[in-house]
Amino acid sequence: MPRILLDATEQLLNGLMYGSLYALIGGGFTILFGVMRKLNLAYGSTIMAGAYVSLIPFYLFGVPAWVMLLSSIAGAVAVGFLVELVCFRFLRKGHELAPLLTTIGMLIVIDEAIVHATGAVGLEYARPFGEESLAWGPFLVRPDYLAILVAALVCFSLIFFLIHRTRLGRAMRAVAERPQAAQILGVSLRRINVLTFALTSALAGVIGFFAVVSVGAARPEMAVWLTGKGLVVTVLGGLGSLRGAILGGLLLGVLEFETMWFLGTSYRDILAFLLLFAILVVRPAGLAGARAT
Amino acid sequence: MKRLWRIGSVVALGALLAWPAGAGAFQSEGTVRIGAMWALSGPGAFFGKSSHGLASLAIDEINEAGGLVVGGKRVKMQLYAEDDACNPEQGLAVVRRLATVDKVLFSLGPSCSSVAEPVFGTLQKRLDDPGDTGLQLLFFTDTATKFGLAKLSPWVFRNTPDEPAMYDFVVKYLKENYPDLKTVMVAYESDFAHSASTWKLALQPALERHKYHQVVEVVDWRWLDNEFGAQVAKLRRANADIYFSLTHTPSTCPSFRELHRQRVKPRIIIGVTSIAAGEVLRQCPDVAEGLIAPSNFAPITAKAKQVADKAWERYSADSHIHSVPAYENVHLMKVLIEKAGIKNTEESLLEDRRKVRDLLARVGTFQGVVGKIKMNPDDHPVRPRDVDKDMILVQVKSAKWTVFWLPANLKQN
Repeated sequence: MPRILLDATEQLLNGLMYGSLYALIGGGFTILFGVMRKLNLAYGSTIMAGAYVSLIPFYLFGVPAWVMLLSSIAGAVAVGFLVELVCFRFLRKGHELAPLLTTIGMLIVIDEAIVHATGAVGLEYARPFGEESLAWGPFLVRPDYLAILVAALVCFSLIFFLIHRTRLGRAMRAVAERPQAAQILGVSLRRINVLTFALTSALAGVIGFFAVVSVGAARPEMAVWLTGKGLVVTVLGGLGSLRGAILGGLLLGVLEFETMWFLGTSYRDILAFLLLFAILVVRPAGLAGARAT
Repeated sequence: MKRLWRIGSVVALGALLAWPAGAGAFQSEGTVRIGAMWALSGPGAFFGKSSHGLASLAIDEINEAGGLVVGGKRVKMQLYAEDDACNPEQGLAVVRRLATVDKVLFSLGPSCSSVAEPVFGTLQKRLDDPGDTGLQLLFFTDTATKFGLAKLSPWVFRNTPDEPAMYDFVVKYLKENYPDLKTVMVAYESDFAHSASTWKLALQPALERHKYHQVVEVVDWRWLDNEFGAQVAKLRRANADIYFSLTHTPSTCPSFRELHRQRVKPRIIIGVTSIAAGEVLRQCPDVAEGLIAPSNFAPITAKAKQVADKAWERYSADSHIHSVPAYENVHLMKVLIEKAGIKNTEESLLEDRRKVRDLLARVGTFQGVVGKIKMNPDDHPVRPRDVDKDMILVQVKSAKWTVFWLPANLKQN
């Protein structure tokens, strides 16, 4: 195989694996938007807060990675409920921009709380998937990236099952499509909102664990990076579309890796946003979003 | 009634915010006001918080020993530390506050060169020129390192590393001591002024000047990036003898892990000056093993160890190349303030600042934590109001910074 093709294939593999992390982040944003029609800009902080909570049993008791994963989920769910309570529950209807501001505020508050608690120093995280890359023929594959890919497959399978095969999922879809009709039929909007927050926050816990494992250290400023990637993937895929988030995440991952290899870091974000503009011009609702009516 | 209550609350809050911090201080209250602007929040907070801790330790030591003598009276030092968040706009607001609301005698900081540049631009450019209405506020900087910043105003003095000289030494040292290592690869952070300028203004010119090493690969990334696979794959392909990792801890640790994963094994790794701190040891001591960094500080003497231990105990502050100068600056300023004959009143503030500035410009050599430091005078042809100090090479060994090379005049004890 010519060298350029080998390089492109290696970056494609890396991009798909890392892109599945982007897909998970976009998935969290988009599920919440799909059900509540509101953007939660504190989602990146919820992810980071989960990861930081999982550091407590790790540093105190040296617990294994699966306990850290569970603690990250528990921490993220607790913070998610706090975000729902403070940023959404008591806001009056008809003020669509208010949650944007309250969640930006929460993003900053959580970030700075972590900065003050940790002295702004990054904290070493567990490395459950080892330090060595796997050699697959001419390619080196990171085991933690493989784990991210597997985690994304498992999470999206569970989410699709929950949304399309359970009563809760039916209720969520009903609230997403016709909230007033759903209410008339006895679906509690508040209950569905809270459960959606619980679901996306649990997903945030999973993302937090795998995102920090891939970096090797927990750092508070990762929240802003997670928020940025999540928003790009959500808009690229189509607000409210889970399939779109998966597609958008994978596309962004591959684009970033190929750009960094062939053009360099400075072109990475330029090309990502040019792609975003182009797709929004051609398909304003995103790759898999519903057409405007 | 409700309306009145609301208006009253707003007025009270406004009054509270507008009230000058520590109003009623100065000589009559027995304090000398010291200002500081550092990155105390945001991604640069690691640097700001450690400088804050070391400066606070120096102030504690001075105050616990009875304070300083001004106008025949013992007064205490009081620190007014403001957060610029490594943000130029916030820095511009903070410098006004320090000069006109906090009314400090001088200021330490800032942490970031990107803040220092616009902030120093607001200071007076020509002393004794009544037409120059720039701020007359003395800065004695501990961290902002970019080459040439002290030239921006005669009110700026810096106790910061001379990085072009340090990297020139490193290249010469490698050439003389490791003549068989000839190929070089470099990584730097394109969005971090310190990292990019270390490459473009310090290391690259040094490599060109010595004409010995061959640069086979240069990669860049952002300092808060999380993924380094593609760039490290380029380094893997370059397979150079020497790797200059001119990056800060947030990108150093994950990129080192990626080097390890991709089995990239340069014979020598040299880091950026700021890496010689505790943060890298807490985040990735295993993959940082063997890393060498040029520095001006290492706990090599009893005094240096004592300072580092106390700063950590009291303030959880890391002692390193950028934070220890904050400690040194406070102690030097204590001596100068006592000598300057200031009145320490609100009315004499501008006059007092000028007296202290002029003394600092003439201070010459003073004692630092690990050795002597020489302050260049106003008329220095290349680096006015910057310092010359001893350089050390430190290396990570068994999760600790150890001395790799010391100049002959410094002894480890």
